[in-house]
Amino acid sequence: MVTAGQIAPAGSGFLPRAGLDALIALLEDDGRRVIGPTIADGAIVYDEIHAATDLPLGYGDEQAPGRYRLHDTGGERAFGYAVGPTSWKAWTFPARVPIGTAERDQDGHLRFAPVVADPPPVAFLGVRGCELAALRIQDRVLAEGPAVDPDFVARRRSALIIAVECTVAASTCFCTSMRTGPEIADDAADLVLTEIAEGFLVRAGTDAGRTVAERLPLVAAGDEQTSRGRAAVAAVREAIGDPVALDGLAGRLADRLDDPKWAEIAERCLACANCTLVCPTCFCTSVGQRSDLDGRASVTERTWDSCFSGDFAKVAGGTFRGRREDRYRQWLTHKFSTWVDQFGTSGCVGCGRCIAWCPVGIDVRAELAAIAPPPTRRSIRSAPVAAGGPGEFITARIDSLHPETPDTTTLVLADVHPAIAEGAPGQFVMVTRPGLPAVPISISRYHPAAASIELSIRAAGPATATISGLAAGDEVGLRGPLGRGWPIDQADGRDVIVVSGGIGLSPVRPLVDALLDERDRYGVIRIFHGARTPADRPHADDLATWADRPDVELATTVDRADEAWPGAVGVVTHLFDQARWAGREAIAFVCGPERMMQATAAVLLDRGLRPERVFVSLERHMDCGIGLCGHCQMGKAFVCRDGPVFSLAELGSNFGREGV
Amino acid sequence: MVTPGTRPTVGVVKLTSCDGCQLTLLDLEEELLAIADRFDLVDFPEASSSRSAGPYDLLLVEGSISDPQQLERIVELRARTTTLVAIGACATSGGIQALRNWGEVGDWSAAVYPQPELLAVLDRVTPVGDHVQVDAELRGCPISPTQLREFLAALLVGRRPRLPDEAVCLECKRRGIPCLLVTGDGTCLGPVTRTGCGAICPSFGRGCYGCFGPREQPNVASLASRFVAGGLGPDEAGRRFGFFTPLAEPFRAAIPDSPVRPPEEAPHARNA
Repeated sequence: MVTAGQIAPAGSGFLPRAGLDALIALLEDDGRRVIGPTIADGAIVYDEIHAATDLPLGYGDEQAPGRYRLHDTGGERAFGYAVGPTSWKAWTFPARVPIGTAERDQDGHLRFAPVVADPPPVAFLGVRGCELAALRIQDRVLAEGPAVDPDFVARRRSALIIAVECTVAASTCFCTSMRTGPEIADDAADLVLTEIAEGFLVRAGTDAGRTVAERLPLVAAGDEQTSRGRAAVAAVREAIGDPVALDGLAGRLADRLDDPKWAEIAERCLACANCTLVCPTCFCTSVGQRSDLDGRASVTERTWDSCFSGDFAKVAGGTFRGRREDRYRQWLTHKFSTWVDQFGTSGCVGCGRCIAWCPVGIDVRAELAAIAPPPTRRSIRSAPVAAGGPGEFITARIDSLHPETPDTTTLVLADVHPAIAEGAPGQFVMVTRPGLPAVPISISRYHPAAASIELSIRAAGPATATISGLAAGDEVGLRGPLGRGWPIDQADGRDVIVVSGGIGLSPVRPLVDALLDERDRYGVIRIFHGARTPADRPHADDLATWADRPDVELATTVDRADEAWPGAVGVVTHLFDQARWAGREAIAFVCGPERMMQATAAVLLDRGLRPERVFVSLERHMDCGIGLCGHCQMGKAFVCRDGPVFSLAELGSNFGREGV
Repeated sequence: MVTPGTRPTVGVVKLTSCDGCQLTLLDLEEELLAIADRFDLVDFPEASSSRSAGPYDLLLVEGSISDPQQLERIVELRARTTTLVAIGACATSGGIQALRNWGEVGDWSAAVYPQPELLAVLDRVTPVGDHVQVDAELRGCPISPTQLREFLAALLVGRRPRLPDEAVCLECKRRGIPCLLVTGDGTCLGPVTRTGCGAICPSFGRGCYGCFGPREQPNVASLASRFVAGGLGPDEAGRRFGFFTPLAEPFRAAIPDSPVRPPEEAPHARNA
């Protein structure tokens, strides 16, 4: 036993090896589940432990690209190995969690409710320097806004962190380059342990850590013990070296999007997604429904997803990242480059999991070195996020419906929450029903005084077809308004050009409404619309109304005319590429199929418009709508949060690039 | 597509197969009553002696086409069916019996049967989709009860069923199973195989056998190279792709001595 005179001050000191059981026991006495390293399936994983003997005592690991083996090295060391395949995100951000429920009650009304996690207190034992950095990155992405994941926040708050400084390195480690380890600062965790031959040097970094340390059988650490601990950690730093040239890396990668080496990597890459799922910071998820057979009740579930899956970037017309090289490039450039633009730090902590657990041994350190040179950076503005998390829907009622085109229906919604009914032109909502996946739909008209909005929905898949087929009186769930709409304030005093294709007229209709509401603020307003056929023209009444106004110049065209069509035939750019207006001071808003927007943008730039005053509305796979799930990323931008409206200047060379 | 709110008529038929896939329907024990309530199971010999010749709103077809009668039957069934779903590895990509395509049928039957002349079988085993339009596929040997339930629930609600085409690896990692290709020298087809089983085999320390067939964007060449690096000969590595779904591309092409398919057997469009 320890006498009072030997107790070290302020929760620091030396813990003899036998004290590890006391530590685990008192954490359990405090009501915490203790999660720590243990051996399962030939690897050291993190799982619940109850005693020091559950730890991999005496075990060491051998790690190399695509290879992991355990060795019983004898002895008593509890932390004589590097990180394994599990990361703490399995507890802070579990692979599968319910986030909301939806049901139809007995009167037929829809009820949506978020599921809020109430996790039991846990203690993480054995968190390494790289892993502390990973938790801080998760905090930045998931808890510090603008969007917040309440499930993560609850789980993260419930965890006491007991860190361990590394005294061995694997060949896959590169924390030194990423500046995340192996040393751990006093205040980086609740408690910090450093293992030496006879036990553990202990430092408390927080009040919570001190209240644990005060109950441990600590004795004062000798200077010689402390310096042995420091030397062991320094030897790890020395062994790892500095394999990744971090300075300027983000910029160098951003300049290498067209490098032929992406395709070479893709010949080896299995696109199996292991790298992203073992990564302690990758946060991409998908939200899906589990419904009962009647579609009366459903649970909305969030699961880990990956940018390496084909469905991940899929929209009704196909996937934006069809090739493996697109997916590998998305992952590597996000991790090391665009993550910096989005969150202010690299997304990589140098833990080396993606190297060891790649079945074909692709080594990011080598690939980064192969795809390198000079830095540039651009910034993107983010919209303030309006409405809540991915599980939080609000019920609205369908007041009436009318067909716009053979495949598009306009729903007029009533009882719409004021936050949505008072949204901005160009914003969108996620629309759902119990059992249906939520789909992003642009708001095609606002009636704020009537608590009403209009949604024009093209039946592109079963969910949109089902919603289009609902009847007046039916209800839907809405979440929004989401995204950054058209920057109307920038149109003040300028000539305005609005170009839309097909159903792309719907997202610009509230823009035109707003322009006409305050007509004298703007110069000449020119509206152009193109459709495949006369029958495919949505909002025909509005087009007719605008055509009649003397203060609007409207021109429309169709790709294929019928005999009754009196107007122009051809692509929409033909309507203005011969026109005699100068665009230098004009502002343009463009919405339609991506190829139509590319062609339009090219002609507008030719006519003198500046890239910062040509705005396009992008379509991407949007799942959460608030920049949390990762599906809609395009370079550094989350299209749902930072867009869907972007200027050509913001998009840079990504606009029109295949596979981003 | 089934009209939401109606009670669809369902038939379950088998061709050359073991019945394991259709029994998966009976494995949905807790929901059998709800299924029987929402669907009119007009023809399901494993469950009821009452039979029907159709028409069927939904027909679940198990098994591959191995003899001339099956060829006629599947065309007739298709004509009486609104939504035809191929269930299981045999129906979707030949099944184990399709491995006989790698030899001569006469040699096999002479080796197995005392009077092979009594047999009337086709030279080649083929999946259902080679002969008729297939509206959806449920993969696996056997199919997953979870996916079958999801398919039925989605059909009733009128949404697209969640039948992801990603690799088995994602489910393996979600379950916290360390990658078998990294912890050992064995083979695992998880990186090229479509998910849906719940990573059953890796959870018992066995590499994936690929019974759900290829995923989207399978990199068979790279995985085969990995097997060779792990100690297999090139032919042996290729044969690993030829267990349960040998006719599914690009698994078929990776199997050594793949027979060339005659052009008239070109498959119909098949997707879920």
